[in-house]
Amino acid sequence: MNRRRYWKNRIPFLLTNLVCMAALTVFLLVCGNSISAVLLILVVWTAILLAGLFLTYWKRRRQMRELLDMAGQLSERYLISEVMELPEQAEDQVYYQLLKMAGKSMLEQIGEVQRERLEYKEYIEQWIHEIKTPITAMKLLCENHRTDRTKELLLELEKTNRFTEQALYYARSEHTEKDYSVRKMSLSQVVHQAIADNKYLLLQSGVRLEVEEMEDTVYSDEKWVRFILNQLIANAVKYRSGQPVLRFSTRRQQDQVVLVVEDNGIGISPADLPRIFEKGFTGQNGRMVQQSTGIGLYLCKRLCDKLGIGIVAESSGQETAISLAFHINCLIHEVQG
Amino acid sequence: MKLYKIMVIEDDSVIQGELQTLLNGNGYTTIGVENFSAVTEQIKNEKPHLILLDIKLPGENGFALCSKIRTFSEVPIIFLTSCNTDMDELNSIMLGGDAFITKPYNTAILLAKIASLLKKNYSTQQSEQIIYGNAVLHLESSQLEHKGKSAELTKNELKILYYFFKNGGKICSRADIIEYLWDNQLYVDDNALSVNINRIREKLAGIGLTDFIKTKHRQGYTI
Repeated sequence: MNRRRYWKNRIPFLLTNLVCMAALTVFLLVCGNSISAVLLILVVWTAILLAGLFLTYWKRRRQMRELLDMAGQLSERYLISEVMELPEQAEDQVYYQLLKMAGKSMLEQIGEVQRERLEYKEYIEQWIHEIKTPITAMKLLCENHRTDRTKELLLELEKTNRFTEQALYYARSEHTEKDYSVRKMSLSQVVHQAIADNKYLLLQSGVRLEVEEMEDTVYSDEKWVRFILNQLIANAVKYRSGQPVLRFSTRRQQDQVVLVVEDNGIGISPADLPRIFEKGFTGQNGRMVQQSTGIGLYLCKRLCDKLGIGIVAESSGQETAISLAFHINCLIHEVQG
Repeated sequence: MKLYKIMVIEDDSVIQGELQTLLNGNGYTTIGVENFSAVTEQIKNEKPHLILLDIKLPGENGFALCSKIRTFSEVPIIFLTSCNTDMDELNSIMLGGDAFITKPYNTAILLAKIASLLKKNYSTQQSEQIIYGNAVLHLESSQLEHKGKSAELTKNELKILYYFFKNGGKICSRADIIEYLWDNQLYVDDNALSVNINRIREKLAGIGLTDFIKTKHRQGYTI
């Protein structure tokens, strides 16, 4: 509460008191009272007036501070009207009512927006499921009736599928609680599946694949990890140079299994490296290669965070290594013996 | 060899047709479903060895159908679906589905899954060798036999030869061979394929099979 403003607001009241005092003084003097008696009355009046004013000031100040603190502690401040008590003052009650009304209409708005978002998300998911039927049909048609052109068509279909998946996971990444289940999965299997998803892309861009033997099993959601690997593979191909090589390997590191995806592409400049997981960040490479959206890695990071996978990017000039660190839960291994 | 019968329950007619083409091309007989209200009767009559089941179907959905089938049959069921949410996957397993493959499926993975389920459920003695001319390819021991002599093959060489034997007589392009190897998780590039082919030729010559693999200029190889 602003002190000067508070006292400024009290000026009309003080002026009224002054006028009353002046009028009383004149009246008392005319009635033949001694000056000392009049002075005594004025002093007592002023003392009571000031004491009353300061008391109300302190009380108001305390009230206002409490309210501000309360609002400060709330995570959703617009709910303050639900938490605060009904004020005593008549004007305050009007403000309280206003606050309630504002809060209510705000909540309605938020509810509506949330519902719309959810509906949109559901629509997107449904749409993606529907678009997969024609994609599947096209893929089967291509594979059953091979001509010279089918490989190129299959490559385009892979791309189409990757983009739809990206949209699906983008929609899902907001409400992940519902849609992941951590299960035992074999790293080698998920790597091979991700490669199979990008078979035509890898074959046609002439990437040499090196897949190390991987025996580790980890606990995570297979289809999410597969999606993440798909994005990484697509990136490695997009930013390739010379004779592209893509390497998949695993290593143990304390209580973690780290899956490393390395390529020998154009690399990431040190200045860009800390920001590659940001949404919409495309960096120096992105400006040179078209079709950089700055979504792929952002989604990877987001999904990794939700799944508790540590994702780290390293790059030194010509090489980029993205490592995914899966925690091994010793408890689970002990229970399973 | 016994011919397995696979039933395709899928409402998209193009996918149904193409799946049947794919399966027929890989040595299975297929039954398509046209009347979705009498699927269970059709299953009882036809007694397929394996069922490919879509989840979104007109009328009854795949889950309901699956639990119905399970009341009278233990036939292996593979769910083929575009709904890849966790609940669907869990449901399909709970209701007795044997596998869950999401669209758009990789045909190599689908065929491998079908083969492994059939093998697990019907455990017939499939011939583990293929014969072409005088040469016999033993898949289990990964050996090639010719007139009493035999040569050991590596994993890559075995797969390449298997592909040639399967396409006996037809011309196999290098790209198709590489794609086939990739489907089998052997990531061989163009150079490595040449090296492998040369090595196979040396081995073949060692057991008296010269000029078994012929190069067709600009087209590929044939046996």
